[in-house]
Amino acid sequence: MATGTPRRKARESVISVCLLAVLFLIGLGVFLKQSRYDKTAFAPPTAKPLSQQPQPSTTAGPNLQVFTPNGFKALSEPEFYGPDDLYEKINGKASLYLDSNFRRLSARRFASIDSPELWAELYIYDMGTARNAFAVFSLQRRPDTLDLFHFDPSFAYRTENAVYFTTGPYYVEFVGSSESPQLTNALVAAAPGIEKALPLDEPARIDELGLLEAENMLPGSIKLNLSNAFGFSGLTDTFSARYNIGGQTITAFVSRRTDSRDARTVAKSYHSFLIENGGTLRAASVGALQGNVVDFYDTIEIVFAAGPFVGGVHEADNQQAAENLAAWLMKRLSEAAERKD
Amino acid sequence: MTMRIVTIRRISQFFFFAMFVWFCIVSTVGEQFWRLRGWPINWLLQLDPLVAIGSILTTHKLYWPLLWALPVVIITIIFGRFFCSWVCPFGSIHHFAGFAAHRKKPASKRIQLNRYRKAQRIKYFVLVFVLATAAFPSIAATLQTALLDPIPLLTRSFNLAVLPLLDRPANLASPADRFYEGAWVILAIFTAAVLLNLVVPRFYCRFICPLGALFAVLSRFAIWRIGKNQHPCSDCRLCEKACEGACQPSQKIRISECVLCFNCRADCKDESISYQTKPSLAGEITDPDISRRGFVLSLAGGILAVPALRLGNKLGSNFSAAMIRPPGALDEERFLKRCIKCGQCMRVCPTNVIQPAGIDAGIEGLWTPVLNNRIGSSGCQLNCVACGQVCPTAAIRPISLPEKLGTDDFAAAGPIRIGTAFIDQGRCLPWAMDKPCIVCQENCPVSPKAICTREVFNTIRDGVYTVKNASTKTVQTLEQMPGLDKFATGDYYCLTDGGELRKITANTGSSIEISDDEPFEQVPALGGGIKIQIRLQRPFIDIEKCIGCGVCEHECPVSGKKAVRVSAEGQTRSTKTALLLERLK
Amino acid sequence: MSKQSTDNSGRRQFLARTAKAAAAIAAASAVSRLAYDPKGPPGQPHTRKLVTVPDFSVDRQPGQTMSIVKGPDRAKNLSRAVELLGGIERFVKPGETVLIKPNVAFASAPILGATTHPQLLAELVRLCLQKARAKSVYVTDNPINDPASCFMLTGIAAAAEQAGAKVLHPRNELFKPTTLSGGKLISNWPILFRPLEKADRLIGIAPVKDHHRSIASMTMKNWYGLLGGRRNIFHQDINTIIAELAMMVTPTLVILDGTQVMMTNGPTGGSLSDLRRADTLIASCDQVAADSYGCTLLDLKAADLPYLGKAEAAGAGTTDYESLEPKFATVT
Repeated sequence: MATGTPRRKARESVISVCLLAVLFLIGLGVFLKQSRYDKTAFAPPTAKPLSQQPQPSTTAGPNLQVFTPNGFKALSEPEFYGPDDLYEKINGKASLYLDSNFRRLSARRFASIDSPELWAELYIYDMGTARNAFAVFSLQRRPDTLDLFHFDPSFAYRTENAVYFTTGPYYVEFVGSSESPQLTNALVAAAPGIEKALPLDEPARIDELGLLEAENMLPGSIKLNLSNAFGFSGLTDTFSARYNIGGQTITAFVSRRTDSRDARTVAKSYHSFLIENGGTLRAASVGALQGNVVDFYDTIEIVFAAGPFVGGVHEADNQQAAENLAAWLMKRLSEAAERKD
Repeated sequence: MTMRIVTIRRISQFFFFAMFVWFCIVSTVGEQFWRLRGWPINWLLQLDPLVAIGSILTTHKLYWPLLWALPVVIITIIFGRFFCSWVCPFGSIHHFAGFAAHRKKPASKRIQLNRYRKAQRIKYFVLVFVLATAAFPSIAATLQTALLDPIPLLTRSFNLAVLPLLDRPANLASPADRFYEGAWVILAIFTAAVLLNLVVPRFYCRFICPLGALFAVLSRFAIWRIGKNQHPCSDCRLCEKACEGACQPSQKIRISECVLCFNCRADCKDESISYQTKPSLAGEITDPDISRRGFVLSLAGGILAVPALRLGNKLGSNFSAAMIRPPGALDEERFLKRCIKCGQCMRVCPTNVIQPAGIDAGIEGLWTPVLNNRIGSSGCQLNCVACGQVCPTAAIRPISLPEKLGTDDFAAAGPIRIGTAFIDQGRCLPWAMDKPCIVCQENCPVSPKAICTREVFNTIRDGVYTVKNASTKTVQTLEQMPGLDKFATGDYYCLTDGGELRKITANTGSSIEISDDEPFEQVPALGGGIKIQIRLQRPFIDIEKCIGCGVCEHECPVSGKKAVRVSAEGQTRSTKTALLLERLK
Repeated sequence: MSKQSTDNSGRRQFLARTAKAAAAIAAASAVSRLAYDPKGPPGQPHTRKLVTVPDFSVDRQPGQTMSIVKGPDRAKNLSRAVELLGGIERFVKPGETVLIKPNVAFASAPILGATTHPQLLAELVRLCLQKARAKSVYVTDNPINDPASCFMLTGIAAAAEQAGAKVLHPRNELFKPTTLSGGKLISNWPILFRPLEKADRLIGIAPVKDHHRSIASMTMKNWYGLLGGRRNIFHQDINTIIAELAMMVTPTLVILDGTQVMMTNGPTGGSLSDLRRADTLIASCDQVAADSYGCTLLDLKAADLPYLGKAEAAGAGTTDYESLEPKFATVT
């Protein structure tokens, strides 16, 4: 007995659509499945086969062959780079490190034990000395960052997906692959253990940091330029920091020279450099700074020598504020110079 | 406007076929969207109940991913042989080929082509035979269902033959050309199966396919089935014009042969055919058309075949030493109970070193994975466990990297070894030809290396010269020396009569010069002799460290028959091949 | 047929089919559930059921642990030696099954001294069957050369059968894996177990021989012939394996034949000049003590054989055979 034709057709359509829906769900399931996989099974091949890489010397930081940050497990083989091939790893940024007397980079990827799909890469740069390490640390410091728990904010900070710090001759970056808060928390938790694992030969003390510290200094703003500070080749080993003067942000700098004569020479040559390149001398309201204030294309530059130190202010908008800051710094440096003597 | 079932069926066929092809394409290790990622490339193999049932018979276990077969079985029991014409990608190929080959023919001819033939019973004998080879592990059991099981067969054909051919020269699916030994046979079988559709549509499905036979048996109690809802009908036989299963829907329909293509229902102008719970009004035959005698013969043949195949004692002391299985592979007896010869491991292996075996692994080992270190980009990569991750039946276990390398939790057990390398001292350059070479040692990836060298100095051919004149840094010879700076490569040394050995840094046609840093202590006497020696570093295999990865074999410059070759002794999966006493456990 | 009844029979058919389908689904689900394996196969195959060698030893009686008989006739020596320990009836009770393990390692003629002498074996079989009235006696070994030629050319097969014993050739099915507790080497290793399983008593009977690898081969080394598999790998640590064999096998009695001692070129020998007549036969309940005395026939001391010390340390016996107060006798 044949069923009614319209009913049959309707039923057929309904069933067909249902089956199409099933196919669609299968396709959806397959599509969802492809993004869920164990990343540890996909560790990308290392840059070089392990046996061809230079084995790390004992002073080159934690042996990444065996060291694993807390809460993480190794995701790839450790990689080692020297000055010759650093660019293979970090490309253009290599010059920053090379200019700062870079020695060796140990790098390795790790996956979070709790959630293996979250992974991060640990970079340990052996810069040879604490000053070099501080230089690359400070020069790359991102502007708006957060403190890193357990660390002195002068030497460490964190961003949404990474932690950065310097200790002894090492500059360490632990960079997460995503902005997952879970991953960032894991990085923060692992950082103290990494610091502990780094062998320190010399206690890290950078005297100039104390010279620049002040209440109105913006925390974490101290930078060290090992060479070519402000575009002038004579200004090497120059620390700079930014200060909040009445709502304005002004940069001051200091560089310790070998002695007072050298300091005067450097200050003079920087002064000449500014004048030769289009700066004009300005009258100073603070007596001690007379002859040291230069208007350089609508910003104020101040440079002076105080004992063995070269100090000054860079790119300030307001001359009065700049002079106040420079005067304060001059007093500070003079006191420090006297103490040394 | 109705959406017809046959339309959905065609969409479904296309859907699963496209899925199958996509899974084959993405089976290259990588994290991009078009690479492996988390794509469930084994899903169609996991849906295949013949794989699941075969492995349950041989191992008495159902490996957990194969649980996908259960819903397929359940749906088949309730609805019938839907898989054959809705899912099976091989079936879709045959369906399309048959359609394309015969579509221009008149209806009467096509109806003839789709008549039921007695030969359709052969597939049941195939099914009984392969299940019988699997069913008695206490006598001997082997998983040979996959030789003719369409999903593994198609996966194998695509991965090892079709895709490598299509992917040249563009190299989109893989970063380099892929090579597979003996794949022409696999391609020939595939092509033959497809071409047979020119003779009879769905030739393979109707006559050969054991999976279809299995579905036929499972669909005996199907609640819904194709049947006539009026009888007698106009008897135009148009229902059989495009009948895929050759199940004679116009007469007493053979339920076991019906693949639910619904073409009969679509082609019937009187709507006399429907998918219904009532039995067909024209009667139905539920059981497959096989004789008891045929059944018994197939069964007996299957049971006897395995001990017969094992007469060569290939599982015992006559094991094939050239057969290197991938890391994580089970011992041979258990391996043969699980491997479905799908070729996934061969497809995914990043170095293309896993190859389908011929019959030197025994006929049971046909198309099972073995390593050939001369093919591909390097031996078995140290930090790779891809093959085990993709094996659908755990014939190659999904080992972790620490287990493979013997680190972390597995440090006590040590690394997995797939064999041991043996230096052929008659072919090795520093051993037999006085030519320096340590390529094998340089490339050995384990740390510490499993290849060490011992230094030897040999006087080269015609290497004895008489001193005409000498200083602390040079020697002039009476005899002519070969060309300028031939000895300056850093491998050549000069040995004086006084026993001093110095590296030669330069030579002319009549003199040699040694390094400034180490002059002769005793100037060679005039009229005395010097010997030109070559420094050779002869490789030795440290069998306690060698894991058999084959990188040395791959890199060896003696490119034909390599001077260092990996052999199966010492493999971890089979303690009876152990070379060292402490490894017997 | 009325429409009603057709409907009814149709419905019955339908219900029957549904029930069968449901049953099939239930069966498939049950099989899946039972066989479900969430872990996958282990790396090494499961060790099959391991067997343990039974303890065949008899209680010690002081002064009747070891006997040493000198004389030119092996059979007579044996009778006397066993008598001195309390007679065969002390060791074999009526109706029991005895397994004799001679040295049939090589397809070598008896006079070359590389294997147990057939006359000695025949006498032992006779003692067990006739004097002790054992129900049956079996003779077995897993030779190094082809078993059939070994049993035949050594004369053991003929002697055994003439005396009424049955020879058991080593077939695959007779081997089962065992692990020696406290052992390092014998771990999941096949041994010739089925004959041991069948027997109530076990008697080892071996000649005194020099051995290239282990220095000497006597009653302890004799048990090597119970090992299956690729046992030659144990030669890499020969002293440990011999000690472990002595720990694994605790026989009822061992007979050590020092009538013609192979002084050099052991274990195969091959020349009569390798032999020296010592006309001594030792019967002992303590195989370590037997070997300790037997090595003196090779002009060695117990301290020269490392495996003796290892076995003694493991508690398999004592090298100080004198402490067992061995009984001496001479038979002309």
